[in-house]
Amino acid sequence: MIRCGMDLGSRTVKLVLDEDGEITLKRSFDTAAFYREFWKSNDGELRVDTARLGLPESGLTVTGYGRNAVKVKGAQVISEVKAHCMGAARQTGLDDFVLLDIGGQDTKIARVSGGRMENFMMNDKCAASSGRYIENMCGVLQMPLDEISRHFENPARLSATCAIFGESEIIQKITEGTPPGEIAAGVNLSVVKRVLPMLARFPDGPIVFAGGVARNKAVTYFIKERTGREVIVVPEPVYNGAIGCAYL
Amino acid sequence: MGKIGFTTTVPVEVILAAGLIPADLNNIFITGADPGDVVDRAETLGFPRTTCGWIKGIYLSAKEAGITDVVAVTQGDCSNTHALMELWQADGMNIMPFAYPYDRDRDLLRLQMRKLMDALGTSEEKTDKVFRELAPLRTKLKRVDEMTWKDGNVTGAENHLWLVSASDFDGDRDDFEARLDAFLKEAEKRETAPTGRPGAGLPAVRLGYIGVPPIFTDIYETAARSGAHVVYNEVQRQFSMPHDTDNLYEQYARYTYPYDVFGRIRDIKEEIKLRRIDGIIHYCQSFCFRAIEDLIVRRELKLPVLTIEGDRPGPVDARTRIRLEGFVEMLRDMK
Repeated sequence: MIRCGMDLGSRTVKLVLDEDGEITLKRSFDTAAFYREFWKSNDGELRVDTARLGLPESGLTVTGYGRNAVKVKGAQVISEVKAHCMGAARQTGLDDFVLLDIGGQDTKIARVSGGRMENFMMNDKCAASSGRYIENMCGVLQMPLDEISRHFENPARLSATCAIFGESEIIQKITEGTPPGEIAAGVNLSVVKRVLPMLARFPDGPIVFAGGVARNKAVTYFIKERTGREVIVVPEPVYNGAIGCAYL
Repeated sequence: MGKIGFTTTVPVEVILAAGLIPADLNNIFITGADPGDVVDRAETLGFPRTTCGWIKGIYLSAKEAGITDVVAVTQGDCSNTHALMELWQADGMNIMPFAYPYDRDRDLLRLQMRKLMDALGTSEEKTDKVFRELAPLRTKLKRVDEMTWKDGNVTGAENHLWLVSASDFDGDRDDFEARLDAFLKEAEKRETAPTGRPGAGLPAVRLGYIGVPPIFTDIYETAARSGAHVVYNEVQRQFSMPHDTDNLYEQYARYTYPYDVFGRIRDIKEEIKLRRIDGIIHYCQSFCFRAIEDLIVRRELKLPVLTIEGDRPGPVDARTRIRLEGFVEMLRDMK
């Protein structure tokens, strides 16, 4: 049986095909480009052109920020937080854990108990702890994402109250002569500091880390260091939501 | 003095006993033609962006409605009201401060209410008469509430509107009661619960709404579309004075909103049990001190709580919507 999961994220759209429990296809598209190419208007409704994407007629489950704006024919729609919990459960085989998902704009934390989501929190009105914040800082530091994620030693002190004001804060650090690696470590730590109060609300069980920011090794390091808890990064952090959809 | 504005619920019986028209400035602001524009204009005048939308809204709404006399609640609401009343005073308006004593001291409360009677030119006897006259109307509001959680033939949105309007009875208690009678008659005839349940077979999730009334215009509709029935509006219910007492002063001593959070939590816990509530939406206004009380709310309530924050008037934003939908979906899965 073929099942398809689609995660209409704020930065990228992720697609996963699951054939009899085996992931046979993973694809990722820039969100804006995806809508330009695979979106069509039908009787005033915006629909994803599933035929052009070569997707099956049935067995499609959709999640993500775009799910309220776009219709996907024949698809079941679930919330992001549920999709990510399902994805994390599938990827780790765990039934009891705390999900931490840091994506392009959102940070989600959920407690999963006995395989069922029991409670969750999401950041609100501010994306200073999100993937987009780190991306912006890469631009200012002129450092690729992979490079930034390696730095965790001597983190520079950053307030990071705002993803935009954070840029001028970094420029000030550069002019003060702070080594770029230490600023990068400060960026990674400031993301974690934003997430810690939310993690503290769900203090029991291992943390299962998903979303694009889970590929950042320094962020993972700081979460372990600051919480003293076990942190498991899922094998496919970016596709976690889509995998959760295909798992339903 | 014809119309008496007020910044949050005050003993409306006193205003009515004085033969004056009560005007809850929050209601005037949020039901105005373009409340978002009012907030924008208040910011243009210099109100900080990072302050409460209600304060900004009621500042201009009162002035534009031509209200010159305001009862300002200086204790039992928030300190932003202090600056607001000072600003109105500087503009030449007549401000009458009213303070709910934090510890519910009955003597102090009685003194405050008597001072308000003096300021408005009425007596304890006349006020007590109005209190007794309002009893049947308050009983009807209790019926609206009961039909929401017990019978299921009044929606969360309708419950919100009727109860929140009880602070000033829309300025005309006779007309309000006549409309309420008509509503009850119509709602009693409804056969099925208008819970906005999408699709067949999905269990309706029973939500409780706690915190100040929302600045969002469609939060109840959004919840209903997700398959949830709001069966409890905490503060709005308090505005309707559902307390079983035949003493005017006792009614305002039992009113939970202006006092400590623990009295509110006792009330919320009782209603959660009675109304079989699955989850709580805790609404906090952006930049409000009550967001700190969220810590106590979460510690005390042993069921899932979704805290949502509203800043400016208008429909629920996309981010709040996806969180609300996720919350309802989770509660449904837990049932």
